[in-house]
Amino acid sequence: MPADVPGNRPAMLTVPGERAVAEPIRVTNTLWRSTHETAYGGGLPPAITHLRELELANKRDDAPWSGALDIIPTKADHVLDLIRANSLWPLLSGLACCAIEMMSAAASVNDMDRFGMFPFRASPRQADVLIVAGTLTTKMAGPLVRLWEQMPEPKWCVALGDCTCSGGRYKRSYSTIEGIDRVLPVDVYIPGCPPRPEALIYGMMKLQQLILERRGHWAERRVGPSVPAGI
Amino acid sequence: MDARLARRLDARFSDRLLRPVTGRHDETEVRIAPSEVPEVMRTLHDDPEFGFTVLADLCGVDTGEVMQVVYHLWTEPAVTRDWLRVIVDGLDRDDPRCPSVTFLWKGAEWQERETYDMFGIVFEGNRDLRRIYMPPDYTSFPLRKDFYLADDAARGAGEGVRHMEQMATPAAATRSNTVRRAKIS
Amino acid sequence: MTQTYSKDDPTLLVDSPAALIDSIQPFPPRSEREAEFYAVRDGEMLINLGPQHPSTHGVLRVVLKIEGEKIIDLDPVLGYLHRGVEKLCENADYHQAICYTDPLEYISSLFMELAPVMAFEKLLDLEAPRRAQYIRVLTCELNRVASHALFMGWLALDLGGLTPLLYAFVERDEIVEMLAAQTGQRMLFNYFRIGGVNGDLNHDFMSRLGDWMSRALKQVEANQRLLNENEIFLKRTKGLGVVDRDTALRLGMTGPSLRASGVPYDVRRAHPYLVYPELAFDVPTREEGDTYARYLIRLDEIKQSIHMIDQCLHKMPDGPVMAKIPRLIRPRPGRAFAAIESPRGQYACYAISDGTDQPFRMHLHDPSFVNLQAMGVVLPGNLIADTMAIMASLDPIMGGVDK
Repeated sequence: MPADVPGNRPAMLTVPGERAVAEPIRVTNTLWRSTHETAYGGGLPPAITHLRELELANKRDDAPWSGALDIIPTKADHVLDLIRANSLWPLLSGLACCAIEMMSAAASVNDMDRFGMFPFRASPRQADVLIVAGTLTTKMAGPLVRLWEQMPEPKWCVALGDCTCSGGRYKRSYSTIEGIDRVLPVDVYIPGCPPRPEALIYGMMKLQQLILERRGHWAERRVGPSVPAGI
Repeated sequence: MDARLARRLDARFSDRLLRPVTGRHDETEVRIAPSEVPEVMRTLHDDPEFGFTVLADLCGVDTGEVMQVVYHLWTEPAVTRDWLRVIVDGLDRDDPRCPSVTFLWKGAEWQERETYDMFGIVFEGNRDLRRIYMPPDYTSFPLRKDFYLADDAARGAGEGVRHMEQMATPAAATRSNTVRRAKIS
Repeated sequence: MTQTYSKDDPTLLVDSPAALIDSIQPFPPRSEREAEFYAVRDGEMLINLGPQHPSTHGVLRVVLKIEGEKIIDLDPVLGYLHRGVEKLCENADYHQAICYTDPLEYISSLFMELAPVMAFEKLLDLEAPRRAQYIRVLTCELNRVASHALFMGWLALDLGGLTPLLYAFVERDEIVEMLAAQTGQRMLFNYFRIGGVNGDLNHDFMSRLGDWMSRALKQVEANQRLLNENEIFLKRTKGLGVVDRDTALRLGMTGPSLRASGVPYDVRRAHPYLVYPELAFDVPTREEGDTYARYLIRLDEIKQSIHMIDQCLHKMPDGPVMAKIPRLIRPRPGRAFAAIESPRGQYACYAISDGTDQPFRMHLHDPSFVNLQAMGVVLPGNLIADTMAIMASLDPIMGGVDK
């Protein structure tokens, strides 16, 4: 008997009521699938994310301009990188104390809007950067990775604060994940407890540098953690 | 300790108290058995002589020998300036059960859920006794004294979740060396 | 090790199909209330206000049962920020335990340190020097002003107004830079010690404080005028989420939410600690119990706090700021309970000592945790858009709720 159920008797849990109890609407994942090979999940069962299929096909996802602009050499790619770097839209994923410093960095005194980062998008589909601010617990790890997977490419991840870099002061706890790089590929680590808003802005500027130099994880990105096993 | 309050408590509950009324600084402490909880709490709440209408705190304690549930009460409007601490003593460590006070204070519901989640103390009468902090399929009770926080790091990067319930060598876990016993009572 | 223990294990998402994730309805139901809630009737729908949502309260998940736009019932799911603070404190020193409590309600972290410090001082039968107590009250009231300013910003943000948030952050930044000059940190201050405070008031802090005090009241009035007479704000908050007196007491609510319902219970008055008996201040109370009343009470409290800071500055005695205690603290076995008035309500620490240098049990009673239960009582019957207004007015901080 699972420990969560304190000795209840299933017969006691019937719900008396006059109206019929409706079945919940369950929408399974197999509703519709595109067969185009570049569509998200196209042609393959949804268990495989699109990056897996790129790995299997041995393609690199650099997200360059495609089509006619393929023939224009790197200047266009550089412009694309500039566009991306100067308009990074973070996802609102403030978990704990560092979220306040993130908001403080976006507010008037330390302004992130001058870097183009003010619109904190609520939906992961519209965001570029996932700034994980605050302790990641085991219960929240699932939803957070789901958020990360919902973000469209190209995307970057910034670990804000000690708790996300390494577990921080809660490293010994039974319910904390020791650093989000165990579950997400992190590009920039910003230590501090909490880091000053200026530190966050410095970290974002480092991220802009990464983007312009095409470093970081997103080019050789794998789904999943970025530290080698055995750490 | 408020002497007048202590006398009144003694006079009213003399046969139910496990120990004489004690206190230190601005707290008065009373100990009862789990079966006495509903009547004692209702008297403390309803009787204008006591008037403890504010539930300030509800928590569980694992002394290593027994489990306890501790309530802190206060009077509003003020009858006494002291905090009243009601310790429900003598809950068995292997099957701790205690009557719920949600019939008096609806705000005790989540506090009892938290105590259940952390200790495994089943509150009889709480309509919503399920885990509140840990994931619903978690199998341990973290704040018990036999739940051991390991200090070694997680076993691998891809696993993320570190399962603290396991000792490094399970054979080494005997009851005597895992449970921190208190020299308090 | 491929065995997984929990369905919330993140590796599941990485390696396995998404179909493994539970649908909203947990089956079989684990308690009576859960069975009653997850039985969805005709015309009702379960919608998930997930752990990540634009409201700034942190990671709170609420499963709403709605019929059209109206909320029938709700089931809050907590624990997304549970960091195991109480267990960590049991395995740490008394001094280290204070560090763990800072990030609970991170906006008002000086209060989070204050209650354990007071409980440990009770265990040691120790009293901090008078100057230290005045400094504690001074910095705590500063933190209260910052916390309430943020509350105002967030309430407006949840109703859709972005501007008051920026004003609130300007206010908060100023106060927090002041406290950074004193404690070294903008947020998780770690300033209070068992027996006093970490350092005496320095010149930087005093000059910033004096500068701020000279315009504090006028600034607060100006910020209030942003919202107080705004017609949309009034229409959206007046009469919304009424908690009457008996319900509030039954729920165990404390703090501004309780005082907005007509109960004048303030721990600083009812059970004075530190130097509050020597300070003259009012306890604002209102009768309506709606969102607007909870908002107005916090604005009144800002003014009272500024008044208290003024008195502290005038009455500050000289002397040491730290009592002489041994480096290794071993209180005699016993129990202590210390409760304070944090910006959200009564925050208490119950500490048990067994004679060693580690607390045997340290329980933190958080006001947001208890106040959030009012949500289940007050929200049904309102529209979805009112959810955010009512939750913001209860002012929960999920760090404290989840410990």
